[in-house]
Amino acid sequence: MTEYSRMAKGTYTQLGGTLGSVAPNVQVINLPFKPDYVELINLTQAITPAQHGIPFAYWDATSLVTIGGVVYNPTIIQIFNNTPVLTTDSVLTNGISVFSGGLSQQYGATQQIIGITKASQARVNVTAHGYSVGDTVILQGIATSVTNNAFRLINNVPFTIVAVSDANHFDINWNTSQSNYTAISASPTGALVKKVLYPFLYLPEDNVISAITTGSTTTIANTMYHNFEVGQEVAFRIPTAFGTTQLNSLPNNVIPGSPIYAYVTSITDNWTFVVNVNSTSYTAFNTNPSSVSVGFTMPQVLSVGDVNTGGNIITATSPLYPSPQFPTSTNRVSTINGPAIRGAFVNNTAQGFIIGNGASHTDTTSWVGGSTNDVIEWRAYLHDYSSP
Amino acid sequence: MRQAEDLILRDYVVSAASVINAGGGSNNDNPTNLGVSDFSLVASTLDTNNAYKFMSGIEGMDRFGTGPVRSAYFMLSSTELQTDFDGLTGQGFLSQWNYPTNASALPSEYGSVFNIRILTSSEAPVARASSANGQDVYYNTVLGKQAITHINQDGYSMNLIYRDPYYSGMLAQNATLAVKFAQSQAITQDTAIRNLLSTRLASLGV
Repeated sequence: MTEYSRMAKGTYTQLGGTLGSVAPNVQVINLPFKPDYVELINLTQAITPAQHGIPFAYWDATSLVTIGGVVYNPTIIQIFNNTPVLTTDSVLTNGISVFSGGLSQQYGATQQIIGITKASQARVNVTAHGYSVGDTVILQGIATSVTNNAFRLINNVPFTIVAVSDANHFDINWNTSQSNYTAISASPTGALVKKVLYPFLYLPEDNVISAITTGSTTTIANTMYHNFEVGQEVAFRIPTAFGTTQLNSLPNNVIPGSPIYAYVTSITDNWTFVVNVNSTSYTAFNTNPSSVSVGFTMPQVLSVGDVNTGGNIITATSPLYPSPQFPTSTNRVSTINGPAIRGAFVNNTAQGFIIGNGASHTDTTSWVGGSTNDVIEWRAYLHDYSSP
Repeated sequence: MRQAEDLILRDYVVSAASVINAGGGSNNDNPTNLGVSDFSLVASTLDTNNAYKFMSGIEGMDRFGTGPVRSAYFMLSSTELQTDFDGLTGQGFLSQWNYPTNASALPSEYGSVFNIRILTSSEAPVARASSANGQDVYYNTVLGKQAITHINQDGYSMNLIYRDPYYSGMLAQNATLAVKFAQSQAITQDTAIRNLLSTRLASLGV
């Protein structure tokens, strides 16, 4: 029964984590299928036994256990005790799991927002949020019953988290340290946050602008990863309330009907880029409205033209088939796609499995991802026959 | 099998085109439910941007209960909004059944509001529970004729593949049925397309 089974294997070097004390980074493995069985060999831990090391791990989609009335799909592990001798344990949550980011938006669980402070990058307080830098979230139910609190603007806007100060706080790229913002506190009813599980299915995407610095060139900060490359042609949609409407592609007061576009000249970071517009005389960008009525539209920047980021140039030093990589500044990750046509948008739908950073059940300071610089071999299978 | 192509194009448009939040409704959410002013705003925006309308108008006829239909852009909406459209009857919504003639109406056409003719589908994009008040957000894509295109790369359109069991495996146990295609999507004119985001006023049936 192997006609339609699929198998894949590979290795990676772990980033982040310290044996027995700090959880490793989450590792995402993209595959051309969604496996039903995954096994890991931590070569580093297997060769050098030490307490808290997990040299072998196994996960099966159909293996479920019930503990305390809760059903888990655990990752079964072999782990070194303090001798160190190999014994067994499990990771009940956030061990190995599979994912499929395809059509439409999918969200994680909603969590109650306790408060949001006024800061140049708003700090959101959520108990044990579990988010990491680079995760994209949306907020809702923020100051929805009043019109005089500018915090209302941040509802239903995708934010890629810029910093995680601790397990209960994370920062988003919106300046709330302004006069018309009243801090959110005391866990307002309906104030919720949830993770957008696969926020960048098609790239580059329509972005919400959080700040504009005018000058001889113009710097654009966004609420989430912009995913633009240098040379990208972009258009602006800035409602009057936000000020800098001179950037808008239309109407063009000089040549009616001819859209005004800009080009990305440099990438500052994953949230910020610079365009070739001399905006010295333009109206200042304003995210401090005294009143926010319903039906407002946020300022946006989007890619246009034929120089999108879908294709990478093949050079003497590049891979022969370079996959597009996102985001476009740091922590770049290849998509599963092959070399795209220059000028195409990238279809970033993906599936595969995730090696999470959940601690093991008995030894609570061990993680299946190991510690930084561990070399881990993985094998993934999709069986065409499974019982059950 | 064409549905796969449609769904990819749909999600691409949701990702890549800019949005306008509905503000003409009455449910006090952001975006609000659709009001007739939202239709006017989007049509005006596309007109200002010199977008091409899809359909010329339908001249009025001497038939009871009918009315003329303006030249129009298409709006692709969810079937879940049909009760909201019905609620706009008398304010600007004209059911497709009340067109002077149905000759130019498409099978999925639900009606029109001013310069926009509405096509509904159960596959229209919805972001569940994501508005300011936690309601479903509907992506109503309004587009002019020159807004988007669909390219079969190397002329490689949808292929339906069938291999009988004899050719599909050594043991001749299973057949293969699949579709494959090489395509890309493009927004050919970004100024001629807008996603009009809205919530819903009426309760959703189950």
